[in-house]
Amino acid sequence: MTTPSLRRLTLPLSREDARSLKLGDVVLLDGDAVATVGMPTQKRMVAELAVGRDLPLPLRGGAFFHMGVSYEETSTGPGPLHYVNPTTSSRFDHLMPSLIRTLGLSATGGKGGLGRESVEAMCEVGCVYFSFVGGASALLSQGVQAVTDCAWTDLIMQFRLNRIRLDGFGPVIVAIDAHGNSIYERLMTTARERMPDILQSLHPTAGNDETSR
Amino acid sequence: MAITYDLVKEVTANLYDWSLRRIPESSKAEFRKALATETEPQARQTLAFMLDSAERAEQTGKFLCSDAGVPSYTLKIGSGARMEGDIRQAIVDGFADLVRTIQPPLLRFVTNPLTNERSFHGKDMPLVSCELIGDVDYLDITCAPKALGGGRWAAIETLVSPSLEEIERCILELVLRAGGQHCPPVVIGVGIGGTFDHAAKLSKDATLRPFGERNPEAMVAEMEERLTRAVNRMGFGPMGVGGSTTTFGVHIEYASGHGFTPVAVSFNCWINRRTRARIHNSGVVERIE
Repeated sequence: MTTPSLRRLTLPLSREDARSLKLGDVVLLDGDAVATVGMPTQKRMVAELAVGRDLPLPLRGGAFFHMGVSYEETSTGPGPLHYVNPTTSSRFDHLMPSLIRTLGLSATGGKGGLGRESVEAMCEVGCVYFSFVGGASALLSQGVQAVTDCAWTDLIMQFRLNRIRLDGFGPVIVAIDAHGNSIYERLMTTARERMPDILQSLHPTAGNDETSR
Repeated sequence: MAITYDLVKEVTANLYDWSLRRIPESSKAEFRKALATETEPQARQTLAFMLDSAERAEQTGKFLCSDAGVPSYTLKIGSGARMEGDIRQAIVDGFADLVRTIQPPLLRFVTNPLTNERSFHGKDMPLVSCELIGDVDYLDITCAPKALGGGRWAAIETLVSPSLEEIERCILELVLRAGGQHCPPVVIGVGIGGTFDHAAKLSKDATLRPFGERNPEAMVAEMEERLTRAVNRMGFGPMGVGGSTTTFGVHIEYASGHGFTPVAVSFNCWINRRTRARIHNSGVVERIE
């Protein structure tokens, strides 16, 4: 989608940029991020950081995305990109608060959002969550210039830490801001509030006719 | 003539490949309708991006999604169909050939649930379910690879002598629990009654029904419309970031059962991967979707 008026942001975000973003802002991303979809990867990240070891790719203050990356493998590292696509972030909810705080991430993203504990960690350090459109790999992949590095090659490709260079990636939506607000939380609260009405509207004249059963 | 090992191997591999690069025509039609009715600007933007991306994938042969899912086939077997060779093995070998040759390459998704080890093959892979249909001379094959985003929210509850209102409440609560996590706008398949396994199968079958086809029983068709409106009032919207397009359709199938009533709900994400072909005894392959 060509929307020339969209704000473009360069990763890693400055804290100022991160804190300037509001829920629902639609932006395009440039710059560097690290992406993975691996549960074992993120468990290993938490474990490494817990014993004071640094991670093999630069991530402090950086952008860390829940996104699968497929690329050509060469003897010298990642070759040309095949495709990318986000995965569901909420399944990493138990690991993300620790990663957000320890690495002081300025941006994270994927699809499906993160829970309250992550939202609070993001608020503390000044980090936003970008929602990417899942299943739109054909267009989304165009915003990835190259896979510039990868680490933990003992893992399968999409589980590795894959460093990507973005160029007009998106549009992406700010779905959790750096001030404790989450679109996912708001929508779930609204949906729960609407449920009694919705249920009532299904059978407005429903009685308790048990006689025929 | 007969439906041979070679033919089934080739057709099942092709069905998988095709399903990765294009969305069903009935899904495209729903996107166009939603673009006219969705009122949230951001949701409209997301819908347009999805449709554009799907069209780009189809035109250029790119994948819709990086998650190619796990291979899943539904076989409907006519009693007049004549098969030659190991048809089950043909599907296994077709998938093995596909992962060796497909471009761009697939990532590894087939996971051993006990060890979390990932590869391209595993116990019971590809998943195949069979059903006998009437006295026809063909094998009808649907391929619907299942990815993680949509697959993980499927759920089943067993109610005891429920009223229709209680069944509908149960369905909506299972839908609410999934929120907007499954890459909406989704198709929601509901299976009611029978036994635990049968309700799950009905739910899966319901997700495979093209949009625009209603359940032939008026009472069920009305329930489908009612629940589709109800789900869209929840407000999760495309990709779960707000809007009135959370589902393109709630599809319901039911079976008679006893006083206990399993209610199964499952989802297919917006790309709604589904392809289908018939192989006739004559060797003719008829591509349906």
